[in-house]
Amino acid sequence: MWEPQELGAVRSHLSDFKKHRAARIDHYVVEVNKLIIRLEKLTAFDRTNTESAKIRAIEKSVVPWVNDQDVPFCPDCGNKFSIRNRRHHCRLCGSIMCKKCMELISLPFANKLTSASKDSLSTHTSPSQSPNSVHGSRRGSISSVSSVSSVLDEKDDDRIRCCTHCKDTLLKREQQIDEKEHTPDIVKLYEKLRLCMEKVDQKAPEYIRMAASLNAGETTYSLEHASDLRVEVQKVYELIDALSKKILTLGLNQDPPPHPNTLRLQRMVRYSATLFVQEKLLGLMSLPTREQFEELKKKRKQEMERKKILERQVVLESQQRFEERRSDLASRAANGEVVSLRGGPAPLRKAEGWLPLSGSLGQSEDSDPLLQQIHNITSFIRQAKAAGRTDEVCTLQENLRQLQDEYDQQQTEKAIELSRRQAEEEDLQREQLQRLCEREWEREREQFRAASLHTRTRSLDFREIRPFQLEPGREPRTHLAYALDLGSSSVQSSAAAETPNPSSALEPARVWSGPPALGQEFFPQSMISQQNELASLNPFDEEDPSSPTAEGTISPPAAECSFGPSVSILKEYNPFEEEEEAVAGNPFSNPDSPAPNPFNDEDEHPHQRPSSPPVSGNPFEEAPCTNPFEMDSDSGPEGEEPIEEELLLQQIDNIKAYIFDAKQCGRLDEVEVLTENLRELKRTLAKQKGGTE
Amino acid sequence: MNVVFAVKQYVSKMIEDSGPGMKVLLMDKETTGIVSMVYTQSEILQKEVYLFERIDSQNREIMKHLKAICFLRPTKENVDYLIQELRRPKYSIYFIYFSNVISKSDVKSLAEADEQEVVAEVQEFYGDYIAVNPHLFSLNILGCCQGRNWGPAQLSRTTQGLTALLLSLKKCPMIRYQLSSEAAKRLAECVKQVITKEYELFEFRRTEVPPLLLILDRCDDAITPLLNQWTYQAMVHELLGINNNRIDLSRVPGISKDLREVVLSAENDEFYANNMYLNFAEIGSNIKNLMEDFQKKKPKEQQKLESIADMKAFVENYPQFKKMSGTVSKHVTVVGELSRLVSERNLLEVSEVEQELACQNDHSSALQNVKRLLQNPKVTEFDAARLVMLYALHYERHSSNSLPGLMMDLRNKGVSEKYRKLVSAVIEYGGKRVRGSDLFSPKDAVAITKQFLKGLKGVENVYTQHQPFLHETLDHLIKGKLKENVYPYLGPSTLRDRLTPR
Repeated sequence: MWEPQELGAVRSHLSDFKKHRAARIDHYVVEVNKLIIRLEKLTAFDRTNTESAKIRAIEKSVVPWVNDQDVPFCPDCGNKFSIRNRRHHCRLCGSIMCKKCMELISLPFANKLTSASKDSLSTHTSPSQSPNSVHGSRRGSISSVSSVSSVLDEKDDDRIRCCTHCKDTLLKREQQIDEKEHTPDIVKLYEKLRLCMEKVDQKAPEYIRMAASLNAGETTYSLEHASDLRVEVQKVYELIDALSKKILTLGLNQDPPPHPNTLRLQRMVRYSATLFVQEKLLGLMSLPTREQFEELKKKRKQEMERKKILERQVVLESQQRFEERRSDLASRAANGEVVSLRGGPAPLRKAEGWLPLSGSLGQSEDSDPLLQQIHNITSFIRQAKAAGRTDEVCTLQENLRQLQDEYDQQQTEKAIELSRRQAEEEDLQREQLQRLCEREWEREREQFRAASLHTRTRSLDFREIRPFQLEPGREPRTHLAYALDLGSSSVQSSAAAETPNPSSALEPARVWSGPPALGQEFFPQSMISQQNELASLNPFDEEDPSSPTAEGTISPPAAECSFGPSVSILKEYNPFEEEEEAVAGNPFSNPDSPAPNPFNDEDEHPHQRPSSPPVSGNPFEEAPCTNPFEMDSDSGPEGEEPIEEELLLQQIDNIKAYIFDAKQCGRLDEVEVLTENLRELKRTLAKQKGGTE
Repeated sequence: MNVVFAVKQYVSKMIEDSGPGMKVLLMDKETTGIVSMVYTQSEILQKEVYLFERIDSQNREIMKHLKAICFLRPTKENVDYLIQELRRPKYSIYFIYFSNVISKSDVKSLAEADEQEVVAEVQEFYGDYIAVNPHLFSLNILGCCQGRNWGPAQLSRTTQGLTALLLSLKKCPMIRYQLSSEAAKRLAECVKQVITKEYELFEFRRTEVPPLLLILDRCDDAITPLLNQWTYQAMVHELLGINNNRIDLSRVPGISKDLREVVLSAENDEFYANNMYLNFAEIGSNIKNLMEDFQKKKPKEQQKLESIADMKAFVENYPQFKKMSGTVSKHVTVVGELSRLVSERNLLEVSEVEQELACQNDHSSALQNVKRLLQNPKVTEFDAARLVMLYALHYERHSSNSLPGLMMDLRNKGVSEKYRKLVSAVIEYGGKRVRGSDLFSPKDAVAITKQFLKGLKGVENVYTQHQPFLHETLDHLIKGKLKENVYPYLGPSTLRDRLTPR
């Protein structure tokens, strides 16, 4: 809709700014550098073992001292110098002040400043430690002696006299050095966090490509390689989670507590990390097991063959359909109606011209006020042309066009109305169901109004979002397994009974999705021919409850049950099967899946969940291969499948987090559903544990 | 010419140019609004901007590990704040962007304050307006005129806003204005002045047809804003009030805490983007579809998640589901409140009469209908006053004008003085004497045919018969028929020649 747009105009003032700043800064930088160089000279020799006279000579050589006679008063406090109030020289700039106004620079301080400047040139020496350690010891050995002696003979063993101005400048400089050297914890953690994120951005797409390809039964990548990568990516996610959590809790136990802004920053970092993980991790599809993979490969082969056959069929199909429509069109046209199935009859008709058409329509149509108006205007045009008023003709012709468009539209609407009536008759039975559905919708709507869901991006409490928070599994590992089996199968049937509901809900939107004239007998084929969204919705038009495909989309378990035993019967290509596997890559949906899970048997990865407390026994040791439910799944069409334990645990955690979230927002109905899920998951987990042990 | 995108690009560029690392965005009151219209928080978080601060906030901590991106209007106060900030920098490095032209002297005083050399960038990025929709912006000025003249502050802000708009879209336009309005002329001159002064900035690639800036005064069509509208965005604006994409729902009876204030932004709300210009009736059915869609994703109580596969699918879809449920509850609440107000205020009936007043010429029927509605207790005093205002505008010079009677009715209805005064005010503001064009009676053949067509189609929807006068103006403009004696060009005639077609 919008054409590409380049960045708007900009104007930089940077060079101007720098010019002005340089003028101001130069002075300051030169001053500082001068002081530092002098300071270095003053501390370059061993002060303790040098005579005071010699020191003084050196000091005077560094900077010329101001003449005593030139300064009768202390320039800072204004007191008169005398025998008692003696003059003191600043060793850094040579100026004079009284003792009160004099400042002292300790050697460690001086060294810190000078070595920092040196370090900035040669970075390999450790910046903060060298001055302190060396000069700390020096100070300890000397200070006690020198403090006495300095008072006596004014020999400055470990400090250098200077004026307040020089000292100020140096202090400022020190502050800058400190800031440069000090890296707060949050920055260190944050840098690590960003590295992890970059890694994910690199690896995740690669993995997804692999997994998608493997799940489609292709043999481009090796399964082992992919599972290694998966473990690697997952580890990075856990690291991200751990790091961001650490950032979140930085300094929380400090006294005084950190500034609210610091906490806000930490929360935001954590929040964005959570968003990142949520967005990326949930898109991480799982891999097929080795056996599944073999199965998939086989299936793909078959499918390729089937597809070829189907393609041929589709071509035939569409030809047939085309024929039919043509004949249909012809018959309708014979009745003098406008055919509107394609929705674009207007240009066609206009190309043929409307006049002959209006003539053939006969008396009844002529009474249409629009047509009358059209006639009037055409005669106006003729008159205007005769009068040679071209601009008049222009406007009139425009009117005429508008009228024609309007007329075309009316005709189209009539045609649509007609065909709609036909369709309505077909829909009559379905409407009944729809009404039921609407009532339900009404009820749901009430619930949603009550349910309060956060819609604003601004006011989230980030501490609440912990999708990966782990809790030790407190569920006792008893054998509840069979209860689950029974329960699920009974509810299963109720779900299957409900199938007409969603399909009828779709009805109103989809009435026009396919040509109505084509009977239902075409649907299976047309569905096969198209693998797009239309196809996935179309089957609902067909009300045949026995259709395996329709059932398949409505509830995954049903799909499984139809898929398992009836693979051989179901010769047609089922797009949903493919879709499910490609999107979810669901290893559970395959009832034949045996257990050797590439993730679970990796003993060499003990750090897989570094942040988690051990969850009721080590899943990595016990999970592989010996799954007792393998038998189950063979005997019953909808038996329980083995589940990757790790994933199960992860999901338990996820659901816990969602429950928490839902509770916080007061969505009680959701909490209930979620709790139910949680219980179920836990039971499954317990059951599996029970089985493997 | 997408203004939302234009501003968004500026903001993205600022953030990109500051490089990696944690960042704080330092803004003033206005730029905060400007940025919030084009970026959501989660979107900007992904770009490592973790904190948002006001330059005038005193309670900011020293955080030397953050980079500061300053996006400020070039006002005197902001420059002063910035000078203080640079003297004692709280962040490690500063990237400074002004939303408009800043004077050389201000740059100098800023440079002199930057003794610690923390400033890394000083630029002008012309995002100096609130981008509401891709084709609509606002300056959020309430009341820009005193009488018929500009308030000086408002004129200067409007000029800045318009020139920033032109710069952000890289357009150097011809300017036309509405001759009947002194204010339009003043603004046109001011904009021209800036373009002349900053001619270097306005050096853009010439296009075959030069862009055009047409400045209109609302007083030319006082009717449109008096009518109740029936499209989604317009209704929200009219009935609930929308400010920088935020709707205050706190007065809605029984509102939950989470929905007190909601954000309606076409940028990241697909449903809103698709429905904002649709009729209220259509929205109703669309919301129903949305719910049904949502229903399919929502775990149902009866159809609990049975298999692990179900559960897995649910968990994987959960964030999406959550986002969707947020959208659903938001729109259900908003539309619900709209429909409640519509029935409470009897707006369907009111709107029908409003449309009759605006589009038809049957005085006696109009008068009768207005009188009838004034008796209706459900009609609010605000709507009652608007009806009388519409009547007054349309039948201002009608021979049997009975405005005094209606005014009496208003008084009897108990409509407050504040509203009653508006009737005479609106005549003074947009009455026949002021208008440059005729709002009510079509003259040429085209318009008559149009009205004829309208008569045919009018039956379809009585609530949307009226077409704003702006529509016609733009139509004429596009066809090159806009009269130069009503909307003259500003500037020398040589430039004008470039535009004249054929």
